[in-house]
Amino acid sequence: MGHDVTLPERSRGVIALREESCTSCMVCARECPDWCIYIDSHKETEPATAEGARPRTRHVLDRFAIDYALCMYCGICIEVCPWDALFWSPEYDHPSTDVLGLTHERDTLGVWMRSVPSRPTQTG
Amino acid sequence: MADVTIEWGHTFHLRVLDVGLACCAVEFAAAAARGADMAALGARPFAPEPREANVMVISGTVTDKLAPHVKRLYDEMPAGSYVMSFGSCANCGGPYWDSYSVTKGVDQMIPVDVYVPGCPPRPEALLGGLALLNDRIAADLRAAP
Repeated sequence: MGHDVTLPERSRGVIALREESCTSCMVCARECPDWCIYIDSHKETEPATAEGARPRTRHVLDRFAIDYALCMYCGICIEVCPWDALFWSPEYDHPSTDVLGLTHERDTLGVWMRSVPSRPTQTG
Repeated sequence: MADVTIEWGHTFHLRVLDVGLACCAVEFAAAAARGADMAALGARPFAPEPREANVMVISGTVTDKLAPHVKRLYDEMPAGSYVMSFGSCANCGGPYWDSYSVTKGVDQMIPVDVYVPGCPPRPEALLGGLALLNDRIAADLRAAP
């Protein structure tokens, strides 16, 4: 936004979503102290792939949004996610002229995944 | 025409009144300490009194008890002043959205021009907010007849 700031790559600016890892299990939304995560999903039935097998039901994500006006950036959602779908991204700078503009949908949360650093090297 | 002149006068001449009510005020002070960065955006922090300021930055939790005083500060500022809501509490109550005593967003009393998210926002996020405010003032100028 017109000024250059160099931050550590693991600084905790905003929470990003890796959508393909999300199973709509709602653990993050339920553990959130602020209830600032909104998830909608529906069930789809996949036909049986082998003879004698049963059809499988799975959740499909319809909406994943985080209200950053409400979020207290505690990172509990990232800690509890059983599927490693949520990550800290260093992109802190997203002010808005409208309070509704602080609710970010899954496409924006997905774009922030690009600035998430890779896994730390295991040492020792 | 007078409005346009006032708007032009405000462009990159932001005199900031800090309404520091809770922990976000510490981040505001950290940003203000980087005087050169603030000056690059044409902003000067810590206006001595409301009538010498044209931007109000509300950083921290506004309680219902304190809300009338925040409103009074806004009323004492010159007409056409801007308001920045800094941090989750000022944006919409933040972690205290379910509280009996906290105002659920400062925009319930006074019009807010820029919302900066964070709990607290980084000091640099204040600079980002000021940059957005400058853009908005410039856009208002261009839109003026």
